[in-house]
Amino acid sequence: MFTKIIDMKIKQVMIPPENFAQVSPSEFLKVALDKMNDSKLGIACVVENKLLKGIITDGDIRRKLLNVQKPFSAFFSDYVIDHAITNPTTCKEDETLRSAVELMEKKQIWDLPVINDDGQLVGLLHLHAAIKHLL
Amino acid sequence: MEKKIVNIGYGKVNKVNIGKDLPLAFVGGPCAIETRDHALFMAEKIAKICSKLEIPWIYKSCYDKDCRSSPKSFHGVGIDEGLKILSEVRDSFGVPVVSDFSDPAWAKATGEVCDMVQVPAYLCRQTSILRAAAETKRPILLKKGQFMSPWNMKNSCKKIESFGGDQIILADRGTFFGYNMLINDMKNFPIMAETGYPVCFDATHSVQLPTSMGNISGGQREFVPSLVRSAVANGIDLLFMETHNDPKNALSDANTVLDIKYLENILYQAKKIHSLRLELEEELGPDNVHKNN
Repeated sequence: MFTKIIDMKIKQVMIPPENFAQVSPSEFLKVALDKMNDSKLGIACVVENKLLKGIITDGDIRRKLLNVQKPFSAFFSDYVIDHAITNPTTCKEDETLRSAVELMEKKQIWDLPVINDDGQLVGLLHLHAAIKHLL
Repeated sequence: MEKKIVNIGYGKVNKVNIGKDLPLAFVGGPCAIETRDHALFMAEKIAKICSKLEIPWIYKSCYDKDCRSSPKSFHGVGIDEGLKILSEVRDSFGVPVVSDFSDPAWAKATGEVCDMVQVPAYLCRQTSILRAAAETKRPILLKKGQFMSPWNMKNSCKKIESFGGDQIILADRGTFFGYNMLINDMKNFPIMAETGYPVCFDATHSVQLPTSMGNISGGQREFVPSLVRSAVANGIDLLFMETHNDPKNALSDANTVLDIKYLENILYQAKKIHSLRLELEEELGPDNVHKNN
């Protein structure tokens, strides 16, 4: 039973694009944080013409707060892309949940953007959702 | 953001292209249009200097000075007369012209004559003004309000972009430092340049002491040359200076407007410094000191 579940495809478990935060590269960082808050997820995907350009996460922001030595108003007004991880770890929707969970464990990350063969963002795999399916 | 070039000039005028690694351009003239004859006289004087130095330039003068300190101060010749004069300057010297506008209702007519429209610093975040500027379809010279941080100017750019405008030049004219005093933060240029839009230094308004004389503004024009040198070395694409043949009797900004007898000297220095900056960038590449990130 367990094996059957974990061999599910990512597309059966992923969060659809309308249910997580997406921002354009030239959007303000503050807007990305607002959208992350609204989605109740610690990640926003940076997208341009449906293509995934990067991600920004709670952890990235925490590290930035410790390192970026400028007024908050300037930090909040920065373009998202200036603080985004532009080569994020991703997965494909036809891959198995098992492979994705193993990847998340190996990289110690909570979220995996799901992209298609053209690099377009089609969903987000969140570790909580994956665990929910495993229980 | 990728650096953009702003193209100024329509019809039969000398086109001025601003930004990236293009030569420094100049925008200037008397603060206010005083009379037709004076406008033409000043345009001829500036044209000679810019022609000699081979500096691309734009004639700037305003038809309505809506932000004067006193109700008794000269308010301007008005939109109809002013645009007629600017049109004549444009046709006579083949120079692009710019005026600001402080009422959205004036934008359309201003854009029909002027090659560029200017958004006054005090109004730089007014949505109605920014919408009207964008709707002219002309390039926009957007002054940073003296009360604004350079990074918050991105909001004004986003407003203009949302109304279809994509030709913007961001100008710094000083930042309030307490009451009746301005200061120039040279970091403003690289910060505003992060938008990708060209940046401009307004040297003569930067030395203004706003309303420091009770009912008029004072100024310290002796600092214009040193501030110009600093700003040009800091990467500006456009230099703004108001100039007059008789500053003491100028009808607007008499305490800051530059006597035209100094213009050639300052523009000569500015052009040389700008060329040197471009040479160094070509030789060494862009600045690469890492930031705390």
